[in-house]
Amino acid sequence: MTTLLQRVKSRMAIFAHRKARGMLDGEYGSVFRGRSLDFDDLRAYVPGDEVRDIDWKATARHGSPLIKRYVAVRRQTVLLITDTGRNMAAVAQGGETKKDIAVMALGVLGYLAHRHGDVVGLVSGDLVLTMTLPAKGGEAHLERLLRHVHSHASEDAARSSIEEQLEYVARTIKGRHLLFVVADEIAANPELDRLLHRLRVQHEILWLTIRDADLASAAEWYGVDDSSPLLSHLAQSPAVTAAYTRAAAERDAGRENMLRQAGITEGSVAGTHDVITALFALLERHRRAG
Amino acid sequence: MELIFWWLIPPAAVAAGLAGWAALRADRKANARRRPAAHADRLTRLPEYQAALRRHRRWLTVAAIACASLLASSVLAAARPVEISTIRPEQHNRDIVLCLDASGSMSSADAAVVDVFVRLAQDFKGERIGLTIFDSTAIQVFPLTDDYQYAQEQLTLARDAFDGKPGTSGFLDGTWSGRGSSLIGDGLASCLNSFPHGAGLAERQTANHAPRSRSVVLATDNFVSGQPIMTLKEAAGLAKDRAVRVYALNPGDLDYGTGADQPGAQLREAAELSGGAYYALDSAEAVPGIVEGVQETEATARQGAPRAVASDRPDLPLALALLSGLALAVAGWRLRP
Repeated sequence: MTTLLQRVKSRMAIFAHRKARGMLDGEYGSVFRGRSLDFDDLRAYVPGDEVRDIDWKATARHGSPLIKRYVAVRRQTVLLITDTGRNMAAVAQGGETKKDIAVMALGVLGYLAHRHGDVVGLVSGDLVLTMTLPAKGGEAHLERLLRHVHSHASEDAARSSIEEQLEYVARTIKGRHLLFVVADEIAANPELDRLLHRLRVQHEILWLTIRDADLASAAEWYGVDDSSPLLSHLAQSPAVTAAYTRAAAERDAGRENMLRQAGITEGSVAGTHDVITALFALLERHRRAG
Repeated sequence: MELIFWWLIPPAAVAAGLAGWAALRADRKANARRRPAAHADRLTRLPEYQAALRRHRRWLTVAAIACASLLASSVLAAARPVEISTIRPEQHNRDIVLCLDASGSMSSADAAVVDVFVRLAQDFKGERIGLTIFDSTAIQVFPLTDDYQYAQEQLTLARDAFDGKPGTSGFLDGTWSGRGSSLIGDGLASCLNSFPHGAGLAERQTANHAPRSRSVVLATDNFVSGQPIMTLKEAAGLAKDRAVRVYALNPGDLDYGTGADQPGAQLREAAELSGGAYYALDSAEAVPGIVEGVQETEATARQGAPRAVASDRPDLPLALALLSGLALAVAGWRLRP
């Protein structure tokens, strides 16, 4: 059986063939400012590295860009936060199950962190129960995190509520971490807004939204919350479709606005195939914003 | 209102209950062909969707009601609702022979009797009427018939002849043969021959069909001149044997005293012997009342036994079923995906 991490790695290898993996590593490194000032050595520039880390003098001598590396880089803690409620067992916009996309996104970011020497922890759960796996290094630990997410997110799980997990983090986590939140199309609300502002003060936050299925499409749907069927032939009437499109745009705008105002960079993803590009764009945007 | 196949109702109710249970039971596989979606409230909270859902539910309710009503009314119709009523069937199976003495003294009474029957024949349904006139010999003008148009024609001719209208005297030809006049016994016996022969009353009653009552309206003054072959008494005995009631009308009851040999008394005796009645007329104007009385007596005597009649009344349930079917069709059309 291929492990979840192997799937992540092979996905990243495909991306590497497009000569962009270094970029991804560089983007990740740029996001983290966990550097000491003790210079260690130089290494070759990979696209995506922070430009201000380039040792211009050495570069001039060497002829190609070199990056300053520092010793005793403080081990950062990356906290993966995701929802393993029953919403994650639903279908995403791209047609895959949302938890597969979540596992892929968490895996890619976790693997980048692992390669960067950072430790990765997990906070996941649903409305009823929030579970945490402590931050550790190593691929085996990362695999365990991914398996935890994969096995807990099912239709038999309790309802989803990412607020519970964020509340838990705000309540129990001390120190500054990088939070990587994988959630779905939640609606903006004042309480969440307050919570995000509170978390942003303490942490660096990256937010990846998994796009939910388009309910006005031609498929037959049922809601995972209460297993009640949605009447698609009603949803496909022009008036309802128009109202749905308008409401969906408002919902997206509300969420984006809330995250932007809290200083959180948001990316969105519709399927596993665009997880890496979406993450790259997210890191890039975060670096620029930061 | 009663139901013939009432036992259909319980199995139908059980079947309908089973069908309803099967339809309303929570189906675990209902979502098998659907895909799970999170945040369904993105759609379900929309007022437009809720309005569409309300319309959908309304038509579902209409369809459910129409379906139930269609089932109920079909079962009701299948159970054969009938209306049971008790009727006393009035039997119109009478045979009446008018037996008219055509001697000159009788013409006004004869005309009155014939006139009454011209009118009565208009309302006859199933009765048969015959006309025989006699003086010294009897002539059967027309035999027992239910061709009322023909009977009315003949009766009208007879009335005109008795009234003495010009050009109608030929009607009475053949009633006088010179052997005498007003041979009542022979005339009555001839009239009795108008009825079908053979079967007697008792035998006919045991037969499957209802017996027809037989009556003779005999208009005569019983003034016999000449030597009849049968006396009035013998003819009355014959009438009794053949179950024929004789109703005698005598326009000229001129009896002296109460002797049994007086003509009126003889006629009365003959009529009552056969089970009929005797009426002495003071004038021809009294004839209609008496004849109609006789008719009514006969009618009440011939009313059948009360019978329970069950008549099917499927129209209401079937109309309801049709309307329900139409409503169901409309609702189904509105509910199509």
